[in-house]
Amino acid sequence: MKYSPLGFGLGLRKEHYHDILDSPSDKQPDIDWFEILTENYLVEGGKPLYFLDQICERYPVVMHGVSMSIGSTDPIDTNYLSQVKQLAGRTNAHWISDHLCFTGLDGVNAHDLLPLPYTEETIKFVANKIKQTQDFLGRRILIENVSSYITYKQSGMTEWEFVTAISEESDSLMLLDINNIFVSAFNHGFDPIEYLDGVPAHRVQQHHLAGHTQYDDYIIDTHDNNVVDGVWNLYAEAVKRFDDVSTMIERDDNIPELSEIMKELQMARDIYAVTKDKSSQVTNQITSKSNDSV
Amino acid sequence: MMAFLLSKDKGIESDVVNTKTINAKQRLSIYGDGYGYRLHDALSENYPAVHTLLGDHDFFKIAYEYIDRFPSQHFSLRFLGSKLEEFLNENYSNEPYYAEMARFEWALRKAFDATNQDPLEVKALQEIPIENWGDLQFTFHQSVSRMDLHWNTPQLWAAIDAESDPIPPEKLEYPHAWLTWRHGLINHYRSLDVDEGWALDSAMSGGSFENLCEGICEWIDEEHAPARIAGFLGNWINEGLLVNLKYD
Ligand SMILES: [Fe+2]
Repeated sequence: MKYSPLGFGLGLRKEHYHDILDSPSDKQPDIDWFEILTENYLVEGGKPLYFLDQICERYPVVMHGVSMSIGSTDPIDTNYLSQVKQLAGRTNAHWISDHLCFTGLDGVNAHDLLPLPYTEETIKFVANKIKQTQDFLGRRILIENVSSYITYKQSGMTEWEFVTAISEESDSLMLLDINNIFVSAFNHGFDPIEYLDGVPAHRVQQHHLAGHTQYDDYIIDTHDNNVVDGVWNLYAEAVKRFDDVSTMIERDDNIPELSEIMKELQMARDIYAVTKDKSSQVTNQITSKSNDSV
Repeated sequence: MMAFLLSKDKGIESDVVNTKTINAKQRLSIYGDGYGYRLHDALSENYPAVHTLLGDHDFFKIAYEYIDRFPSQHFSLRFLGSKLEEFLNENYSNEPYYAEMARFEWALRKAFDATNQDPLEVKALQEIPIENWGDLQFTFHQSVSRMDLHWNTPQLWAAIDAESDPIPPEKLEYPHAWLTWRHGLINHYRSLDVDEGWALDSAMSGGSFENLCEGICEWIDEEHAPARIAGFLGNWINEGLLVNLKYD
């Protein structure tokens, strides 16, 4: 049902090209896969594609875009999707993802991930657009939950009910961004655990982990900082609930040395190992107890 | 929501939930502020020298005015700045060096990610039968831009790029011919003598070797014309400017 998991990855950033590619092939950085920002490579030539081709020779790659505008009432941009499809061929992308939002209207692009009203009408509309997009690309796509700062009065359900319904109706997969759940839970005052409990585990393909900026009354999803403890704790809760999920650190600004981000990736691996270990012990205890009673 | 971002239309406020700690207006302003900053930063990334020349304050101001006037129409922020030269020409007509810098930086931006094409090798010239030289026509690498500059723009750009002491904009006595392009992965720019500038323009618009030899006689003797043009061709090949020749 899901794509095969890839392990623990990083978002590919140009600041790290040399660190990644200059190491001898037997001492490559211990990163299982890279997520590339689709739009950065929808260019004709030059450095971006030169480095990308070399990364693709060494690592599995997935594509993460910001321009599908799947929630917009504008028609599907087939020119954009053709370029995405072509890049997916070039990179051998294991999967393609974008966001549950709209980024523009009437041909104007706001270059932001703008939230949608959570209504039955939106679910039908967006699910239909996802289906058309999947048909065009010839594969299932992953849709990511976004951080948001507003709730529309029209919304008649929780965010997790909304994302679940869209993913079921369109038969798409989920890129569950743990930081975005944390941010939106704070901004809108919901329980992030309820969110994790509310989404279909068999559709969760990938996690993002990222940093944010905390203000007194709200959090902005800035991706310019380390992952905070609250997000690590929420990640551990996600590990308990979902299997075969590929996890990565998403850093977009204030980019540190590769070695710094690798420490965060190690943190994710450690949390995963410890949490899975504990939960398997619990499962073992439960099974042995039930065996005793038989 | 888009009306709010693009023209500060407050109609959407009544559709957004107020909470105790943060009201609809404050919540929407997170999107409004983010929109401005994001597009300002994208413009700055493509025009670092225009930004430096104008200074933070003025660049900030023109970025917001520009975005109002030319909202992004493309899925990629890469093309957001395509009209900046035009915009600066209209709005800073007394300081034309801003628009000229925008033109220069946009040409470098184009060179950076233009299509990869294998440059022509010198042996391609050697293989041309002598009787076909007159008809020879040239195809240039897609990264090439030719411009006549009225200010010391490339020198200004170089000083800003090297973060060395700022130099003032200076108007030239007469316009100088410049060329920007990419060779391999590296962007280049250089000035051209007036006859080379003419020859390049002619060759780029389909002029044949014979046309070039005739035209160059405005600057040199007829007997030296073929050698002068052949010399240019040799340089253009070495610099990776040419990708194809044809002579039928
Ligand atoms: Fe994300």
